[in-house]
Amino acid sequence: MSEQFAVITGAGSGLGRALATALCARGIAVAGLGRRADALQDTATLAGEKFTPIVADVSDPQEVAAAFAHIRAIAPVSILINNAAVYPHRDILDETGESFMQTVATNLGGTVACSREALKDMTVAGRGRIINVSSFADLSPLPCSAAYSVSKGAVTIFSRALVADLGDRLPNIVVSTWMPGMLNTSMGLAEGLDPAVAAQWGAALALWDDPTLNGAVFEMNREILPSRGLKGRIKDVVRFKRRVPRQIAP
Amino acid sequence: MSEARVTLSEAVARDWDVIVIGTGIGGGTVGRHLAEQGLSVLFVERGPAGVRAEEHALNPTLWGEEARLVRGYWPKPLHATVNGVSTTFHAPLGAGVGGSSVFYAAALERPAPHDLDSSDDIPHPTGGWPVTYAEMDPYFAKAEALYRVCGDRDPLGPDKDLPDGPKMTPSDQALFDEMTAIGLHPYKGHLALRHLKDKAVYLGRKCPNGSKMDGRSAGVEPALETGNAALLDRCMVTEIDHTGEDVTGVRVSSREGTARLTARAYVLAAGALHSPRVLMASGGLGNGADLVGRNLMFHLNEMLALWPKRAARAEGASKALAFRDLYLQNGARFGMVQALGVEAQYGEVVHYLNMAFDRSRLRRQKWLRQFTRIPAALAVKLFGSAKVFVGILEDLPYAQNRVTFDPNDPDRLAITYDMAPELLQRRKAFRAALKRRLKGVRMAFVSAAPELNFGHPCGTLRFGDDPQTSVLDRNCKLHGVENLWVVDASFMPTSMGVNPSLTIAANALRVGEKIAIRLHNREDGDV
Repeated sequence: MSEQFAVITGAGSGLGRALATALCARGIAVAGLGRRADALQDTATLAGEKFTPIVADVSDPQEVAAAFAHIRAIAPVSILINNAAVYPHRDILDETGESFMQTVATNLGGTVACSREALKDMTVAGRGRIINVSSFADLSPLPCSAAYSVSKGAVTIFSRALVADLGDRLPNIVVSTWMPGMLNTSMGLAEGLDPAVAAQWGAALALWDDPTLNGAVFEMNREILPSRGLKGRIKDVVRFKRRVPRQIAP
Repeated sequence: MSEARVTLSEAVARDWDVIVIGTGIGGGTVGRHLAEQGLSVLFVERGPAGVRAEEHALNPTLWGEEARLVRGYWPKPLHATVNGVSTTFHAPLGAGVGGSSVFYAAALERPAPHDLDSSDDIPHPTGGWPVTYAEMDPYFAKAEALYRVCGDRDPLGPDKDLPDGPKMTPSDQALFDEMTAIGLHPYKGHLALRHLKDKAVYLGRKCPNGSKMDGRSAGVEPALETGNAALLDRCMVTEIDHTGEDVTGVRVSSREGTARLTARAYVLAAGALHSPRVLMASGGLGNGADLVGRNLMFHLNEMLALWPKRAARAEGASKALAFRDLYLQNGARFGMVQALGVEAQYGEVVHYLNMAFDRSRLRRQKWLRQFTRIPAALAVKLFGSAKVFVGILEDLPYAQNRVTFDPNDPDRLAITYDMAPELLQRRKAFRAALKRRLKGVRMAFVSAAPELNFGHPCGTLRFGDDPQTSVLDRNCKLHGVENLWVVDASFMPTSMGVNPSLTIAANALRVGEKIAIRLHNREDGDV
């Protein structure tokens, strides 16, 4: 395979920083998007010279377009990890329409805008890898997480919609959804997992070159198989297909 | 390709030498020839240019017009009334640069001389094409060179040596040996492929690497590279303006709106189902003898599975083998037999069975339809190690078989077709002959009922010397119209016993020469 070039959003902190560091350590050039130049600089110090910091707010499509124009001048994008997210703990009675949609703009809008930009390169190459970092927050939203839960649920759906639009035409553009688990980051919990551990899975998943990962969902290092109705289960039996969840080899 | 794409307003602003409607094998080939002759050519294509890296196949089960169109599928379904039973389904028709050919399996086979010529020994059902095989021969050779046709010489046929084709797989070789042992004359089928050594082969799907030669890679793309041609995609021709003797423009509709495009010459290459529809939408242009849309032919697909004795499982599909031992038997026109080249997959088998179900007597019991899944799964298992072949049974022209037109819904794609008793009789004889000649090879017919090949429509604007019995003249110009030619499969008076693609390409080159001469002469006259 030709030279890889990865874009990671939200690279100035937490999981994004850890992912950038992990991918650079594996010899992959990474462009990291973040809102704060100083935070990105700290990531650059950790990740080394393979890291290019790019200041951009992913909630603004124009900033995203400008950032990718800058990135494209270096090399075409072959890997995109949509990691940037905000999680304002806010009661729905304290949300306004605007504040709610600001969260959606970052978590969902950023994912859509960055994917569209990365696809400009990937559709020319006929190959690419998109990892959408998501969560199970949508299944049973916690109190004070309406905007986060809704936007993360939408990110999971967006992965499926990308596969519906592109999976048949460009099967080597491979989209997977990844739920990294509860992390010990500013957005997560103190007793959560070290993001450096999760980042090893994320980096390995991003470099895993297999078109059958298109549409796959992983939680931490293990594949979550889509649930099947009775009809689907019968079909599997008739077609002698047994589904076994895969595991990320770090 | 993007540099040569024009918007509707850019296309309107220019006066073109030639407007080519449709970019399949016919349109792509003629447009390339004309552009290479220095003429300015505008391709008008209903579907999109698409993304070059795409590698999908046709998908008849996908509904939704926009979803179909972005994939280069014809967006609307075909309404077919066959033997009095009406069904609506997506025919294997493309709408995108390259037309249906980007989805084909690249079989470019020569017809036999008796497909075109009449003789005392083998009388032709129409008395013969207006152009003889000998006259077509140099154009077959030119088309074979242009499309990089490779394969073995047919041991029973008149064709010349070609470059060697892809290497046979072990089970193809086994089958080849078995066929030879029982006295058949198999050969490596003729495929339009280049870069065989270093590129993957994509048959039956869009080819992302340019190795498969189709209306796009052998037609439109080299035409655009000359700098003389331009592409207007996602643009539909709704009507041809004319005075009766001259075409004065084409009315088109796109996302930008509607407009009128003009040129010195016009070439209709929208395919044998659409070209007559466009003429009927244009005040019956060319329909003086009530022949537009009539004499519709398809081939009958006779699918058979062959199991080589030394089978290697899961080798994937290959299109290597073909034979013509049964092409013509005791004066009966059958056709060639060739490897299908497309693997029988579960989804396709389900669709195929559902189509059969919709025509069957059970069709009113809708709940039964889901049970086609069980035989489909079994079929995929059963045929896993088999090579699926298709016998291409020639169809003959009947005036009542036709493309129909609804003035209130001019975009509607509809046909009526009855299988003639003569055709069904011939099919019976073809099956019996196949069974007899393949004795010694394990084989089974895939289908019991006769299957029309909706990917091979032809004959709906037949060419001939008599305006009372044909729509086009021998140069494929509309009788009585000065500047409109047709170069898709519509022109064929008979369907032949081979895939139509090579003949469409060869005829497009022949007609292209005439058009170029005509336009250059007029230029000289102007000076």
